[in-house]
Amino acid sequence: MKINLKYFSWIRVKLKRGQDTIDVVEKITFKKLKPYLIEKDVIFEEIFEDNSTKFFLNLIEINDENIPLNEGDEIAFLPPVTGG
Amino acid sequence: MIKIISESFNIESEFEKIANSTSGAYSFFLGTVRSDIIADQRRINGVFLECYEDLAYQQLSQIRLKAIERWKLNGCVIIHRVGNLAVGEKIVLVLTSSSHRDDAIKSCEFIIDNLKIDAAFWKFNIIGSEQIPIQAKEKDRKKFLTWKDVVN
Repeated sequence: MKINLKYFSWIRVKLKRGQDTIDVVEKITFKKLKPYLIEKDVIFEEIFEDNSTKFFLNLIEINDENIPLNEGDEIAFLPPVTGG
Repeated sequence: MIKIISESFNIESEFEKIANSTSGAYSFFLGTVRSDIIADQRRINGVFLECYEDLAYQQLSQIRLKAIERWKLNGCVIIHRVGNLAVGEKIVLVLTSSSHRDDAIKSCEFIIDNLKIDAAFWKFNIIGSEQIPIQAKEKDRKKFLTWKDVVN
């Protein structure tokens, strides 16, 4: 199944892209997605180690990493905001 | 009304849109790009504003709703720009109207304080062709915490 990833701020700069669409196994959880992404690109290790980054699934903050993902879901990687 | 736009806006026009005879007080906050910002020992050319629009609209709507529920407002406008902005350009406008100044001023300040820490915008300094992400400031978080006993 396909999952859409969106990157912002320093994460976008570091990865040199604003988004990815990845193909993963059915019902993978966000927790299990993490090592999958790190394996694909070691930069994700730094991203997941940064405690200030928030992750949103379909516009709702992920509080339980065991949440299962579904086809077409969008996960956004959000460093602390700096607008205004 | 909430707008996330790349083009500039006219403050007088925005004022006229919410002006009415029951409002005796209007409060504005206008944020602009400062000329005195220096990053890596170099003066910036401007800023780049990045936004996660779907989430930002949702967050700004919640912030606006909190202000409307807490204070007696007749009008409430939030405009935030995105994209490349030169020094001196407008970034953000918060405009509130009420019968009396206290509600207009306090709600306006609350909205910009909340926006600074809870709306999906990211600012980058532009130096040459390089975008350098600006770090979030702890003072903005501390400032917002001063509202915790005022707004639930």
